[in-house]
Formats: sequence, C-alpha cells, structure tokens
Amino acid sequence: MNYTPRALIAEVTHRCPLHCVYCSNPIEMQRRSEELTTEEWASIFRQAGELGVLQLHLTGGEPLLRSDVAALVAAGRNAQLYINLITSGVGLDAARLDALVAAGLDHIQLSFQDTQEAFANEFSGTRSHSLKLRVAAMIRERRLAFTVNMVVHRRNLARLEEMIAFAEEAGAQRLEIANVQYYGWALRNRDALLPAREQLDRSVEIVEAARERLKGRLRIDFVLPDYYAKYPKPCMNGWGHQQLLIDPAGTVFPCHAAGVIPGLEFASAREHPLRWIWEDSPAFNRFRDESWMPEPCRGCDRRARDFGGCRCQAFLLTGDAAATDPVCTLSPRHVVVEEAILSAGRATGDNKLERDWVYRIDPR
Amino acid sequence: MNELGPRSVPRLRPGCRLNPPGGAEDLLLIPEGALRLKGPARGIVELCDGSRPWSAILEELTLRYPSEDAARIEADAVALLTRLRDRGAMETA
Repeated sequence: MNYTPRALIAEVTHRCPLHCVYCSNPIEMQRRSEELTTEEWASIFRQAGELGVLQLHLTGGEPLLRSDVAALVAAGRNAQLYINLITSGVGLDAARLDALVAAGLDHIQLSFQDTQEAFANEFSGTRSHSLKLRVAAMIRERRLAFTVNMVVHRRNLARLEEMIAFAEEAGAQRLEIANVQYYGWALRNRDALLPAREQLDRSVEIVEAARERLKGRLRIDFVLPDYYAKYPKPCMNGWGHQQLLIDPAGTVFPCHAAGVIPGLEFASAREHPLRWIWEDSPAFNRFRDESWMPEPCRGCDRRARDFGGCRCQAFLLTGDAAATDPVCTLSPRHVVVEEAILSAGRATGDNKLERDWVYRIDPR
Repeated sequence: MNELGPRSVPRLRPGCRLNPPGGAEDLLLIPEGALRLKGPARGIVELCDGSRPWSAILEELTLRYPSEDAARIEADAVALLTRLRDRGAMETA
C-alpha cells in the first residue's frame, strides 16, 4: 500500500519563552546550535511538496524565536504549501505580522493556557497572557484566518464556557479545544492535569451546545482525552500514513512523541532524501501495516479504523511499543489507565502549588 | 453565510484558497485540511471571488454548460456552496 503524506509539522526550534506544564516537545530537546538553516528547511519544503504534502505547520518551541520565519513562510509557499503558524504570539508585533502575511502566511493558530491571567501564567510558567491578548487584537485587525487554541485539563475545564466566549470575542473563525495528551512533559504532570469523568461529560455537553449556537461563525474542534475513551484514537491516522514531523535538527518522525520508542532509528533529512525516509526507512515502516499487531488488535474489526491506537502511548504506559494501546478497553493492560485515573482523583491537583509543577525547560 | 439570494456575493473566507491549477487533483485548502473538489466545482469556486453576485455566477455557469438544465446547475452549485459554508470556507457579502 502506498501512503501520501498530507501534512508536515516543522518544529523549527525547540527554544520557547513559555514553560508549559504539558508541552508536546520531547524531554530531550534540540539545541540552537543544531537547528537547520533557512536553506535546509527550504529544501525540505520542496521535497515535501513533491511527496504530496499540502499543509505546512510551522511550530516549535516558539517559531518566532527564529529571525527567518518570514523567509520560511515564503519558502513554504514557493513549494506550493499551505502555511499555518502555530505560536504563543510572544515576539509578534504589527510589523512582523505584516511581513508574515506578505510572505504568504495562510493561517495563524494562537495558543492560550486559560482565560484568567493568573491561571494562564501559572500553567505556562511565564507572564505571557496579557501579551497574547494584544496579539489576538492585532490578528483581528487583519483579514487573516485565525484559530484560537485552548489546552484544557482538570485545572481549567471549569472555565470552558468562558473560553468559548473568549474565542468568539477574539474574532477567531476556529477554536481548537485540545485536552492535554499524556506524553513527555504532560505525563510528568498527569496527576494534576487528568480531568475527572464528570468534568469531561460536562465539557462534551457545553461544546455540543456551543457548536449549535455558533454554527457557520465559529468552528469548534474538540480533542477528547483518550484515557476515557472506549477505543483508542486513530493516532496520526496511522503510523506513517498521512503526516510527518521534523525536529529542529532535521530528524524525521511520524509524530511528536515517537522519539521515545527505543530501538527505532529515525533518519535525518540532512542525510537522506525525504522520499526515502517516508517510503523506505525502517522506522517509518515499523508500524505502518498490520503485521506488528498483537491480539486483540490482530483479530479486531476496528484495526483498520484505529490502527491499534498510539505506539508511543503503548510504550510509555506498558513498556512495549508493539502492545495494544492500553487506553483501549479490550487491551489486557487497560488497568494501567484505570489506575492513572484513580491516581489523579486521589491527588490534590486542585490545590497544586506552582512549585509542585514540572515545568518544561528551555534548551540551550 | 446568510441564505443565498440573487444579490448575495459569495467569497472564500480568510485562510481558504484553491491549490495551484493543473495539479493531480483540485483541492480547496482550508485551515484544518483540504476539501476535494470534483468536476466543475473548482470553476464555481473561482467565480466566487467577491466581485460577482450569485445571479451572475449562475448565468455564467449556464453559458459554460449549455447542454445542462439550468435548474440542475443551480441545485448543484447551491449544494456545493452550502457544503463549503458548513465547513466555514465560504461567506457572503
């Protein structure tokens, strides 16, 4: 079977002024001295376009910490890609935003940690909230596609309605409400972040009502926490099926977290053509088809729909990347997820103090 | 998007654009992905450029497809625009 990549997630730097307690970057980050140059990224974007990639997500860390972001946007457009900038907004002023738009930026996704400043600053480990509000106003003044991204968890789901009202007022066309996914930094803070079942049920009701009310004005995408799901998420729509991620140093992964899986060698775009990495490298083929699947996946009717779930989560929670994703209620190891939910319920997460969080650090 | 009347002027919303012409497939690129456009859909979207009222777009389409029934053309075009509106890709001025 042939697979065509549709989206490239480019982590152009791991440096970031924020220290979010659920950052999706790996624990082991790439340093500034390892970062690809503008020309190296431009070559990667061209190769990606030739492979069939349509969308380029420029992210980080904080991509705006690179002085060449406008050049990267232009290089992506030259490669016929659709350009999305995923940013905290820190480092964006009017002149820089205009330069990005002039370079061909199609869409901007601005992240928020909360609607209330004290909480937002606590979760991000920085005083960045008021600055983000100014950036949102700047985006609204331009005819630029705008998504507000809200990361939600146990400690802020109580303000979900406020968050939706906030996105509406900010003039966003799209609101992404993303429950924290438990990898890397978030896994270390899981007891404090994992919501209770009642919180989750309430949030689903709120989002459904808001979708109805805001139809045609604000589109709401809602990512549920898979710990409460009956079946696993079709992670990345399959390993090496549709998406690829390249880290600041040029290493190519099927997703954000795959670097944690031992025994896989992920190739560098500095050393190999992207087409070889996508089509032929052993790491991209390791979980691509169904031959790796254990029972109960192997005989399951859902295997072509959820692909056995997430390989990284299987590794992080069971120690075996080729196990059924333990969030699946059919998994023989599902008890580890039930235990995590119980543990979060017992923890005093609601009264957590700032000094108890594990904050994401900045690479040198 | 309000109801599509003869005087409404449809256009793509910010962040939505067609892929370059002549590719393997016709796609409307949108913030969260891409919508596949089949047959005459690309041409219809191109006409929705914010300068033409809906009545002029329909007139142009009946000229382009003289052998097709005008009511059928209109029904197909309305279905396309409704689909794009529901995905947040189209608005009317």
